[in-house]
Amino acid sequence: MIRAFTYLIVGWVLIAVGGGLADVFMITVMLPATSVVVLTHIAFSRALPMPLGLALAIALGYLEDLHQGAPIGTLTMAYALAFVALSWAAERLAITGWPTRMLSAFVSVLVVDLLTAAILVALAEPLGLRRDALWTALWDARWHCIATALVAPPVWTLFERLFILLKIQEPAAPDGPSPLGAPR
Amino acid sequence: MAVSLRSIQNATIVVVLLAIPVVLLRNTAENPHELSAFDRSVRRIGGPLEAAVSYSTSMMGSFFERWFMQARLQDANERLAAENRELAQTLRELAELAEENTQLRRALQMRDRTPADMIPAERVGVDQSPFFRVLNIRIDRGTRFAKPGMAVLSPDGVVGRVDKVFDDYSDVMLVTDARSKIAVEVARNRAQGILHGDSEYGCIVDVPKDYEVEPGDLIQTSGVDELFPKGHPVGRVVEVEQLVGDQQRLHVKPEVRFDRVDVVWVVLAGAPRPDTTEPSQGPSSMGLQPIR
Repeated sequence: MIRAFTYLIVGWVLIAVGGGLADVFMITVMLPATSVVVLTHIAFSRALPMPLGLALAIALGYLEDLHQGAPIGTLTMAYALAFVALSWAAERLAITGWPTRMLSAFVSVLVVDLLTAAILVALAEPLGLRRDALWTALWDARWHCIATALVAPPVWTLFERLFILLKIQEPAAPDGPSPLGAPR
Repeated sequence: MAVSLRSIQNATIVVVLLAIPVVLLRNTAENPHELSAFDRSVRRIGGPLEAAVSYSTSMMGSFFERWFMQARLQDANERLAAENRELAQTLRELAELAEENTQLRRALQMRDRTPADMIPAERVGVDQSPFFRVLNIRIDRGTRFAKPGMAVLSPDGVVGRVDKVFDDYSDVMLVTDARSKIAVEVARNRAQGILHGDSEYGCIVDVPKDYEVEPGDLIQTSGVDELFPKGHPVGRVVEVEQLVGDQQRLHVKPEVRFDRVDVVWVVLAGAPRPDTTEPSQGPSSMGLQPIR
């Protein structure tokens, strides 16, 4: 439970930091989705049961909805579906080292963005959105993916250090990085 | 494949959880512009956290911004300082030009006011007392234009008379010189007298006691000596001294600041007539005509 609570609180702080940095450095497009990195970490660490991980994904998606001003439920749904997909992938893939962490974050955020776009396109009329504007925004998502891939290693390391500090994870073996995605 | 009770339980929970975003989306689609009470509560709870994070991020961002921008600011500062120096220099030059322009305008206005024939002259040197008082000034008019005894005026008042004349320049004896004598009158009541130089600080003139004179009265040339044009200011009474007998002595402070005189006018009225046998020696032969 401490791990889940840590994911939620740190994820919330990271969401707020992302918004703050965007405000300070006046970045509008190339903003990292740190909560998606958290989502990826939850899925590939496989330390939490599926229902709890999904609940966290829904909570993070809901917080992102509130922060980004998206229609409430859009990112919640995208995060939930993406988490299901990532959990399925985590059963078959293991992540070791920063290149795979970056790649996994890149793919995760791409999935989230595609799902978000799909949801918004599907609900464009009731939500009062223009579909052509959505396609333009989807093309800009490439910067979103790159930025998220770049922040993935530090966020990943942050969680590892934090869990070691909170004594809910063993330190990595001296001969190599701790593999994530090992069979439960 | 055996399906455990736990797996069924988990799948049920997952389906229920997945229904949450569906419900949220349905509510949003029905009313896209309004937050629910739960949304507002979450925002209220997260508000202080977000504010603190935003504030810290802003502080950190501004620190790095200052750090990284310092070099550029330094360059800009140096460039602006250099530009400022140049502009200050230009401003000083403009101020000098403005002052010179003002003096020239005043000199031209004086020329228009004065009926006598005059030629302009520029100050080229001064003799000063040990206390930095101007004792006499040197002008750039020599023997071809000036003669000893000619009156020298400035827009502010009487400067003095030409004393020694050399080839290319002349020395002017100031009104404060002990040898200087000028016919003057009190402007208010026409009380006439001869103004003597008293010291490097001022002059004196004795007038009859019949005339009431007060400090501040203007002393001007009377024109009696036929050297100075009538009515040109000389100075102001600073003290009235009652003498034994029927005279009173007026201590006069000159109107002209001799240390600030740049351009003066030499009055030609008192000059000897030019030698007609050698016309090339006169001012007109140099292209300079007396000014009326």
